[in-house]
Order: sequence, then C-alpha cells, then structure tokens
Amino acid sequence: MKYLYSEGKKDGKPSAFGKFIGLLKKGYRKMKEDMEKPPDNEEGEIARKKRRFRVICIFGIIMSLVAFLISISISSGGVIPVSEAFSAMISAISKGGHDLNTIELYIYQSRLPRVLSAIAVGSGLAIAGCMFQAVIRNPLVDPYITGVSSGAGCFAIAAVALGVSIPFMGDNVLYMIPVAAIVGGLIAFGITMTVAEGSGGSAINYILAGVIVGFAFASVQTVFLSLAKDNLTDTMWWLYGSFANITWENAWLVFIPAMGISFIAMLWAREFNLFMAGEEQAKQLGLNVRRFKMTMMVVASVLTAVCVAFCGIIGFVGLVIPHACRMALGGDHRLIMPASVVLGAMLMLFADLVARTALSPIELPVGAITAMIGTPIFAYMLMKKGREYNG
Amino acid sequence: MDFEGFHALTEIDLELEKGLLVGLIGPNGCGKSTMLKCISKIHEPTSGEISVDGTDISSMKPIEAARLVASVPAESGPTFGLSVMDMVMLGRYPFVDKIWWENPEDESMARKALQTFGIDHLRRKRVSLLSSGERQRAMIAKAYVQEPKLMLVDEPTSHLDMKYKLQVMEYLQSMAKADMTVMVAEHDISLMARYCDLCIIMKNGKIVTIGDPKEVIDEDLIRDVYEVDSRVGLDADGEIYVLPKKYIEEAK
Repeated sequence: MKYLYSEGKKDGKPSAFGKFIGLLKKGYRKMKEDMEKPPDNEEGEIARKKRRFRVICIFGIIMSLVAFLISISISSGGVIPVSEAFSAMISAISKGGHDLNTIELYIYQSRLPRVLSAIAVGSGLAIAGCMFQAVIRNPLVDPYITGVSSGAGCFAIAAVALGVSIPFMGDNVLYMIPVAAIVGGLIAFGITMTVAEGSGGSAINYILAGVIVGFAFASVQTVFLSLAKDNLTDTMWWLYGSFANITWENAWLVFIPAMGISFIAMLWAREFNLFMAGEEQAKQLGLNVRRFKMTMMVVASVLTAVCVAFCGIIGFVGLVIPHACRMALGGDHRLIMPASVVLGAMLMLFADLVARTALSPIELPVGAITAMIGTPIFAYMLMKKGREYNG
Repeated sequence: MDFEGFHALTEIDLELEKGLLVGLIGPNGCGKSTMLKCISKIHEPTSGEISVDGTDISSMKPIEAARLVASVPAESGPTFGLSVMDMVMLGRYPFVDKIWWENPEDESMARKALQTFGIDHLRRKRVSLLSSGERQRAMIAKAYVQEPKLMLVDEPTSHLDMKYKLQVMEYLQSMAKADMTVMVAEHDISLMARYCDLCIIMKNGKIVTIGDPKEVIDEDLIRDVYEVDSRVGLDADGEIYVLPKKYIEEAK
C-alpha cells in the first residue's frame, strides 16, 4: 500500500491515481462505518435494508475496482505496478487507442476488453441463475437449465465442423461461433419453452423439458464433435469457456447487453420476492404470474445466450453465486440481485486472472477455474450456514 | 358475493355480509379449497360471477382484486430464505406504487400487524425456521396488512396444537369484527361451531346447507355429509361438540 501512495503524488499534488485511491479509501471508510454499526433492534426494517444495500453497492464497486486494477496489471507477460497500469490505461483511453506505447497498447488492446467482458459475463450469469432459481422455485437450477448452453454448443460446433460462413460478414471467424451459439441457444430455449408450456407450464415440467432438450442437443453436438476432430482447438476453448478471443470488437457486444439486462432485471426484484411465497400466493397478491414467468424466462435466456456466445460455457457461477448471496443476506432479491452482480463479477475476474497466468503460456479454460476457486469457498459457507439454509 | 357454475363446484349462490366469520365445512375434495381459490382469483371460474364489496372481481386486474381479497394458504412450501418481515411486507405489494422500496407507512403497518399477532420479535428470522404456529401467524399477518374486505383462510389450524388452534381462531374472529369478512375452510367442526357466525356445509361441489352452526349441525347432517356416525351435543357452556364414533361402511 505504501508503494501506491508514494506513486500517487507528483510534486506534492495528488495524481489521478492518487485521487482515485483516495476515493476508494473514502468509500471503504463509509462502508466500514455502515457495517460496524452495532446491531440495533429499533432500526427500521426498510432503513436496515437500505443500509445493507448501500454496503453491497460500495463494497461491490470498491472490490471490483481493486480486482479490475489487479487484473489489468498482472498477465502472463509479468507484473507491472498497479499505478503504472492505471495511468497507462487512462492515457490509452484519453488517446482514444491511437499512438500507444508498448504497455499502453498491451493494456488497452488485450487486457481491458477481456476484463470488461469477464465482469459482464460473471454478473450476467449470476443474475440469470438468480432469476431462474426464483422463477422456477428450485435451488438446483442454473442458467443452462432451459437448454441454452447445449443448443449454443451444438450450433457452435456444427458451424465449425461444417465450415459454415455467415453472409454479409465475410469469412470472419470471430463472429461465426458467437452467432451460431446465440441462434442455437435461442432455438433450444424455444423448444424447451414450447414443450414446457404444452405440458402445463409447471416449474418441474420446465426443468424436465430443459433437461431432455439439453440431452438432445448434447448428443447432436457429440456427432459434430467427432466430425470436426481435425479443428478441435477452434472449439475446445469455447466448450470450456475462455476470454481469450475477446477484443474491443466483440467486448462491447458482451458488455453492454449483459450489464444492461442484468441491471434492468433488478427493477423487478420485488416481483421475484413474491415468487418466494409460492406461485399461488404471487398470483393472489396481484402478479400476472404466467406472463411474468414467461417474460423473465425469455430475458434470462437471452442474457445467458449473450454470455455464452463469445466466452463459451462457463459453469458454476450461475448456480452457486445466488446461493452464496442468499445464505449471507436472506431471501430479499433487492439485496441478493445486486450482491450476485458483485460476487459474480469478482469470481469471474479472479478466475480469468488465474486462467491466464497460472500455467502461462498455456491458457486454462476459465470454466474449470471458476469451480476450483468457488467450490472451497462455497463448501465453507455451506458448513457454516447450511443448518439454517434450505434453498 | 355470488358465484355459480364450476366443474368442481356447481350451483353455488350465496351472499355474505360484512363482519362475519364464516366457516366452510365439508369432507376432503368437496370443493372448499377450490371455492377459496376461485374467489382469490388463483383459479378462473368457467362461468359465473364473484363480486366483493359491490364490484365484480372476475373482470378486475389481479392487482386490483388483491386490494379487496387476501388469502392464507393451507401449505406455504419452501420460502427460500425470506424473513418474517419480508413475508409480511409482501402483503403490501398491491398497494406500493414505487418500483424498489416500500413506503414508511407500509413498514409501520407491517410492524403493527407483527405486534398484533405476537411475532414482532421474530421479524428478522427466516420463515423456514419458524414453528408451524408462528408460521401460520406470519401468513395471517401477511394477509392482514393487505387490508382486504374479504379474507380467505384455508385450513389454518391443521398442524397446530390446542393452544394455537384457539389462538388463531381468536385472531380470525377479532379480524372479522374489525370490518372484514373472514371465510375459513376447516375440518374441526367443534372449533368452527364455536367461533363461526355462519357456517356453510358443502358436499360434492355443492352447498348442502347454510346457517348458524348451532342450528344446522346435528347428527343427521354429519351422517349425510361425512358418512360417519357421531354424537353431537352441547357442553356445560352451551357450546356444540361433535364426537365422531364410527364410519359407515359403503356396503351398509
């Protein structure tokens, strides 16, 4: 920390980085103040919720910024000081990406888009998982429950195996897998939805329909996988999740929709709470349950498809992050949805960091790392809080 | 309130006055719960009309109907970590116009309900950790803050011991007195006879009889509706009790 501060001052005046660190410190103090408030039984319940919400937001912003800074300053190429990475990023952005020196170029071109998309995918998958678990009312549900991942995988592999090219996009490989994945994911979701609604639309039928559609697409995927065994490397990174193919060109296509949908979905936090009391109660309390459920399924599936398209199938985050938040914060979606965004983004940032540095120059699939980092933490939480937690 | 013409329920036509505690009695599968679910708009009746407080609720938006009718479910299933306060606040959902937080008035109303039902000290506890009695009171508090004109309660005492049975019935009775019609579906006939102002006896989706429990409940009625021989009598305080004695075999 000392190192950071001495770097933060130039000619007695705080530099941009110094100011930035100052802000972080201020936020941290505020959060600490909020958190260390003695338990007050007379505190109003809404006031208490708002305070906890504030803590989540400040904690989230600080931790993601710290993770972000660490993430842009460490890479397989080596470690540069955080302050240097920060100022390089600022100058690169202010130059608009032109005439960059080596460090600037490196940070601007390869790390920044990666880090941004990791944040977006982490929070997007966590929110999608949270939405599915609430709407289907089943704790074992994850964002891939409606068959999105299998459909996406199947189409992505098929596109590689058959050497499909997309009209109007030339032979741009960068977009072929993502477009195929989004199309496949949404087709699979459509089939699941049709089957589930045809069977009455109950929660358990959604799960069953999703599972069988998933199996069907997975088996077709296996066929294409054996056809495409010559260029497997093109597809393997995708099947296990990776941010290696992210550049500025496609980072925006992940970041804006994923973050946008995640934040918009939060507006319905109270409606998700209604679902916690049961579908019939939600209906009785004035929610159009059928319409809400369908809309949120579509939204969550599109969100999942966007996350999966460019970065592949990353497991674990969508299943476990919402549970971790529920264990720590209770059942109110006004708290657990923002917390899911924060935790999802952080887990994904660290997983990506480990994936690209642990065994460099070999890059590991990030989907494996999320589970490796997350499982011990989650197991610890489960043992500590599991007794009073039932989904 | 009028309602007529269901598959599970047919030829039901009744009108209830304000301020009554109404008991709904009948064997399993006779349509008690279905009737409650139709009134609370959980099920759509195939035909007929249901009106509360002078307005037809079948053509209303769900959220508008939710301001008139509240329901306490028989079983509430898993609640995924919701606290008691969260659960009670859900009852304010039809009234809150903001997107995210409730208003302070909603909170004070919920707190008052929690105090009324004696569960204020449990407000930060998870609903899943409550005992059946506490849970039932939380669900009643949730329906209470909905400020309904008509409150529907499905088997409120099924898992409760004697003390809580009486306590819950007393809460329901006091709510009925406070300007609200309370309709309770329940199997304990003695309990219903004691607390209800009016009781509706149902069988096979039809109403058998309606009236003051002291007048309508007798051994013949129980035999007719439940196919059970029983003894119906008055205790020293003049309250009805029903003792089931022997079920009548179908061959008989």
